[in-house]
Amino acid sequence: MNASELDGPRVKRTVLGQEGRVVSTSSELTRALGVVAIVASVVLVVLGLFVSPADLFQGDNVRLFYLHVPVAIVALYIAFTVTLVGSVMFLLKGSVFWDLLAGAAAEVGVLFLGLTLVTGMLWGRPTWGAYWVWDPRLTSTAVSFVLYLGYLAVRKLEMDPTARSRRAAVLGIVGFANTIIVKYSVSWWRGLHQGSTLKPLDSQIEGLMMFSFFVGVVAMMAVFAWLLVHRFRLAWLQYQVDERQLEVALRERRSEGSSSGLAQGGI
Amino acid sequence: MLIGSVVLVLGFVLFKALSSASVYFYNVDEAIEQKAELADRTFRMQGVVVSEPSTDATGVLSFEVSFNDVNAEIRHIGEEPTDLFELGMPVVVEGRWNGRVFESTQILIKHSETYVAENEGDSSRPGVGENGVLP
Repeated sequence: MNASELDGPRVKRTVLGQEGRVVSTSSELTRALGVVAIVASVVLVVLGLFVSPADLFQGDNVRLFYLHVPVAIVALYIAFTVTLVGSVMFLLKGSVFWDLLAGAAAEVGVLFLGLTLVTGMLWGRPTWGAYWVWDPRLTSTAVSFVLYLGYLAVRKLEMDPTARSRRAAVLGIVGFANTIIVKYSVSWWRGLHQGSTLKPLDSQIEGLMMFSFFVGVVAMMAVFAWLLVHRFRLAWLQYQVDERQLEVALRERRSEGSSSGLAQGGI
Repeated sequence: MLIGSVVLVLGFVLFKALSSASVYFYNVDEAIEQKAELADRTFRMQGVVVSEPSTDATGVLSFEVSFNDVNAEIRHIGEEPTDLFELGMPVVVEGRWNGRVFESTQILIKHSETYVAENEGDSSRPGVGENGVLP
């Protein structure tokens, strides 16, 4: 859908206040990303569920690998890295762009981390024999989930927007410190969770399984990018609406103030 | 500056908390070495299943686990382990010492990050390294 299709019956009330124009968060970029995300996801389903072989030990449970690890990679190493960069840049430059980008990435990241936890639990029960164990990888991931939920909560606090964004940015950086702990939790401490899957060129994973995993990473990255761009643009529009409303409110207040001031002066 | 120190402190606290609190599991050799200190405390122990597991008439599952060439006898009463449980699998058992025998209440399978296609026909155990030592 593009903006002109959305126009339909010309409306007076619009997002940006320009008469007759409805603003959309879609563009050439998101349409292309959307196509990639859908195609890659369909290929992933076919490969993951039908083409790739069952595992010698795990049987069909291994198929969760093609979803669980990609969503974890996207959440921890992509989404939260974007939040980290956005947070640092906001603290350095103070620009709204970086703040909103950090927030949008964290929001989509929390979704992907939630998926990581759910798919992990579904995988753990038939493989390990428990949905959840308090081993270092699972514990640090749970801490990460709570930290970024806290980050999102801070972004909704009723306070001065700049101070709020600063606080969120600090949390966005602290959260990433924990992300590093999640990453190395399997090598620093003993736990039930398997070791690092990503050992480039030293793979112990059979060809078609590795390829399915690779398609999973591409598919989840595309879904993430698509969601991120839309979420960011929505946040950007929301910001502009708030600014406009603030302007209008200030103008009204000023005119009220001056008129009542005159009236008082008259008495 | 402030942020940097906050991050450092938090990272340090998490690291210390996770590393010093207690290990997630003892290896069989450590659990035997520290038998006196462990006494009748509940803990987890890791090793590779080295004997064919057998269930007796009363429902007790018996098998032996090994790590670093040290073996321990396990008697498990509780939920059955998953289908992956078999000779050669690394497991984490939760329970406590009762004399020479480890009484287990939970068996968790410690699967490695290795995946092998079922139809490859290769019955080697990639989850276990040489001498039953985990990679």
